[in-house]
Amino acid sequence: MRSAFKLAAAAVGAVALLSLSAPAGAQQETTLQKILKEKKIRITGELTSPPFGILDKDGKPTGSEVETARQLAKDLGVELELVQVPGPQRIPTLLSGRADVAISSLSITLARAQTVMFASPHGALSVVIAGKKGVDIKSAADLKGKRIGMTRATLEEQEVPKIAPPGTNIVFFDEHAATIQAMLSGQIDAAGMAAFAAQSVAERNPSAGIEVKFTVKTAYYAAAVRPGDHDLLRFINTWVFLRTQDGTLGQIYEQHTKVKLVPLPVF
Amino acid sequence: MQGAGTYTFQFGVVFANLDKLLEGAWLTIQLSAMAMALGLAVAVVCAFGATNGARPVRWAVRGYVEAIRNTPFLVQLFIIYFSLPAVGLRFDPVEAALVGMVVNLGAYATEIVRAGIESVPRGQIEAGRALGLSRLQVFRFVVLFPAVKAVFPALASQFILLMLGSSIVSAISATELTAVTNTLQSTTFRAFEFYFMATGLYLAMALGFRAALGAIYWLVFRRGRGAAA
Repeated sequence: MRSAFKLAAAAVGAVALLSLSAPAGAQQETTLQKILKEKKIRITGELTSPPFGILDKDGKPTGSEVETARQLAKDLGVELELVQVPGPQRIPTLLSGRADVAISSLSITLARAQTVMFASPHGALSVVIAGKKGVDIKSAADLKGKRIGMTRATLEEQEVPKIAPPGTNIVFFDEHAATIQAMLSGQIDAAGMAAFAAQSVAERNPSAGIEVKFTVKTAYYAAAVRPGDHDLLRFINTWVFLRTQDGTLGQIYEQHTKVKLVPLPVF
Repeated sequence: MQGAGTYTFQFGVVFANLDKLLEGAWLTIQLSAMAMALGLAVAVVCAFGATNGARPVRWAVRGYVEAIRNTPFLVQLFIIYFSLPAVGLRFDPVEAALVGMVVNLGAYATEIVRAGIESVPRGQIEAGRALGLSRLQVFRFVVLFPAVKAVFPALASQFILLMLGSSIVSAISATELTAVTNTLQSTTFRAFEFYFMATGLYLAMALGFRAALGAIYWLVFRRGRGAAA
């Protein structure tokens, strides 16, 4: 017991010494400088969210956001380390410093903009209500009394409750996979999800008869960085501008979503 | 924490949502308490089957215990919630969570109770049989009480583990403490603050359960020893 205390005291002392010995006022290395020096960029990868991030037949990560992350790493001339995250952990992973950039179909919202800095958008997505053919939902008013599932920390989590009438039973899951499974097994009547996801689910499970009931909202998504990483943000904005101009980002988007990319605003 | 030096803690939003967190914690407590009672009942029945039952019964119990103890709790929950509807057995999330917890705890507790049963001296069992008691009567009046008493600390640990493990049921949309925390952190983006609060609440609940289990032990096995035995 006593030696454990000694060890702990020594550790505390060492940490204190280290922090004291750091030259006061020295310029702190920025995240962009660190990426270039270590020749490695760590980007979040959400791999249960088709068509943005998914494992291909060989179990290799792919999808429009994963390929976008690859392109960014390539253009920076550094190695890509994909930090696998579940949807709700995209922003916490970035804020805790385990990833340098979040590129995981993060739609731009005011609420999120209070904790992370968004780059200019590089893609667009619609949130829809999807369900089996027999379920009678045509508009928001029909959601009343129904069990509507959705994944935490997504655009649908923010948008669907706004349009849902009182008496809608909204249930949350941690993963898109769980939300989709709940819809397929009939544990929920319908689900809020990205239009692409609904399309992909419908294609993969033709017998389930999944269809889009109505569109809730269309939004733009972008890369996000930690507050204060201005040089990295500026680089990504420049990169989005150039790669949108030469059609690279549009090509990645269309290849994975099978939908033509709408003109993207810049901010 | 390289590169994360800009984070500032803001706990105001946590306290503004304290009622929701406490609601979640209350469901955790209810689920855990019910699962402890039902799981112990399952365990006692299974342990009786494993020690006194016919060979097929022993095998059945063995199979149940091994199947549950060697598969992940999350997968068990997914089977109960997502797969059983395919065969017509539909549970809502809280029911599915409770069933999953009872089934899971039952398997672990069966092994613990069985160990307790085997710790009862054979002489006592033979004495019971010599007095003309049936196997069930011997189990009920001679074996069960000292067996559970002997393994009560191990059972209590398993109960606490179950309570902490209940955080997993958020995956099937049961709105216990972890689910509420996840929802709040994903809408407010104050992940660290909410997880710290949830950690504190879990710690408080674990200590509370430990105290309650200690009180039960004292009431049943010490104070009431003469009457119950």
